[in-house]
Amino acid sequence: MEVDLTQIPTVEASDREKKVAKMHAVISQFTEDQMSRYECFRRSTLHKSNMKKLLESITGIKNMNNDDPRLSVISGIAKMFVGEPVETARLIMVKRNEAGHIRPCHIRESYRRLKLQGKVIQRTVPRLFR
Amino acid sequence: MSSTPGATAAASSSKSKATGSSQAPEKRKPLFQKELQHMMYGFGDEQNPLPETVALVEDIVVEYVTDLTHKAQEIGTKRGRLLVDDFLYLIRKDLPKLNRCRELLAMQEELKQARKAFDVDEEKITSLD
Repeated sequence: MEVDLTQIPTVEASDREKKVAKMHAVISQFTEDQMSRYECFRRSTLHKSNMKKLLESITGIKNMNNDDPRLSVISGIAKMFVGEPVETARLIMVKRNEAGHIRPCHIRESYRRLKLQGKVIQRTVPRLFR
Repeated sequence: MSSTPGATAAASSSKSKATGSSQAPEKRKPLFQKELQHMMYGFGDEQNPLPETVALVEDIVVEYVTDLTHKAQEIGTKRGRLLVDDFLYLIRKDLPKLNRCRELLAMQEELKQARKAFDVDEEKITSLD
């Protein structure tokens, strides 16, 4: 079941309810395995304190407020970004008919592909002849 | 084989650091190891991901956050401060992330309003006494 996320501009209240209903329908049919995985997916976060340290060291902003919206936004973006190499690595493993743990070589290959797709932030890349 | 993200991370950060770390490799204390393990399991890896994989993903994520923040700062300095909108601008083409950020900001606003209402109620109760 594929959802074309690029064609959903904004989510209104009624749409949200429909979405929630759909999700409930899907979640109720999860196996135990899928349920535990989904639980981890929903619950896992990157600790705010660590993100705060990182942001403060990068930006030089001192004493960032704990409920700074920038913190939440960056944590959300980073969490979604973690998913990209992991999911791409799984696809690569399927193509190569491998199973089991994801190894660094898969992550490197998926990172390379993400770079080509432009999903990774690149600083000052000299774009010659493109 | 293409250069590893660890090497590119060292290269990109040696531009910003005064001491060129060409000899000693980048020594980042692992920031997100435990949380990343759960997150990777949620996104599709095995229950206990390999430690090398987790370390590599952490390097990638830290590099991503660093580059994103640097770019946002560049935009932010043009108007004075680093604002949330700078991040949102950089994400503008990535619709899933953009929508997720909007959700998060809306939830934060709701929480703020709820807390305000709670404080106001508390004051009313204490003043009546």
